[in-house]
Amino acid sequence: MASPSSTKLILLRRLSRALKLKPPSASIQRSSSSSSSLYLSSLPEASRLAHGYCLSICCRNFCSRPPHLNDESQGPVTIYNSVLLQEDEYHRLADTTIQDLLEKIEEYGDTVEIDGFDIEYGNQVLTLKLGSLGTYVLNKQTPNRQIWMSSPVSGPSRFDWDQSAQAWIYRRTKANLSEVLESELEQLCGQPIRLS
Amino acid sequence: MLGQSTRRLLGMGFLGQSRSQAIQVLPRFYHERVVDHYNNPRNVGSFDKNDPTVGTGLVGAPACGDVMKLQIKVDDKTGKIVDACFKTFGCGSAIASSSVATEWVKGKQMEEVLTIKNTEIAKHLSLPPVKLHCSMLAEDAIKAAVKNYEAKRAEAAPLEKAADA
Repeated sequence: MASPSSTKLILLRRLSRALKLKPPSASIQRSSSSSSSLYLSSLPEASRLAHGYCLSICCRNFCSRPPHLNDESQGPVTIYNSVLLQEDEYHRLADTTIQDLLEKIEEYGDTVEIDGFDIEYGNQVLTLKLGSLGTYVLNKQTPNRQIWMSSPVSGPSRFDWDQSAQAWIYRRTKANLSEVLESELEQLCGQPIRLS
Repeated sequence: MLGQSTRRLLGMGFLGQSRSQAIQVLPRFYHERVVDHYNNPRNVGSFDKNDPTVGTGLVGAPACGDVMKLQIKVDDKTGKIVDACFKTFGCGSAIASSSVATEWVKGKQMEEVLTIKNTEIAKHLSLPPVKLHCSMLAEDAIKAAVKNYEAKRAEAAPLEKAADA
């Protein structure tokens, strides 16, 4: 008589084969509850095929975790979350920062007399032209959760979000995005600007 | 004549000279050096990464759009880089940057190549602002290759001492 766990595995394999998905590995039982529940919810026919008995077994072992389990078993998931910024959180922070810079630099452009000053934002790329002084390009680099900047003064730099500083920091130089732009723009255009 | 004006246009950010209105109307082109490296890349290839005289630098990520593998072959006794090769997945500027990097490291001492700056590569290729990141990646690849070679030497050293004893 097959053991309950192997029955579940066989059922899951049938489900995935029916949908021509990659079959689950034996380690699914050890994977985090969130990822395994996502896997099951992404199978649209799962509810029909796995109705009743099968689904209840799957749910019991793969989707739910007894609440009394201590945090050690959740360890890897927690570490991952704190090391890598969540994507939606990253988008929110990066978009806010870039929008903010766009508005402030636009205003700044109205006050300084720079020939060929132009700032535009399209396709998530912020381009700031300062005529003969050079061009800045700021863009989001989502896979790395970074903001990339190309400056005519300091060249390329890549900023990561620092939770403790609540700012975008270039790890190599510990530079702060707003501060770098403030000092460089003042140096190039002659007038100070507040970006933080 | 067109080549001259495009070279001036692309060098805009770096040379800082005043420009006339007419030039700003022209579209951007890849600098002829970038096109040359793209069409005739120098030193494409691979060394055996297990060879103790080879240092491998692998930088970038496919998701970001650029991956560079730069390998150096070092003469143990003199610390001089005798050969270099690269393989790059990415845009024309990334290919040209890593190709230039392999050209520049050949025949130099390891300490010397660590001073190669991304700004020099970018200036040589007249890279536009948005492609400066490619030159930085090339600089990182050089540094990673040197670091890898030194790490391999450090690992091998105690074993050599044991063999001699």
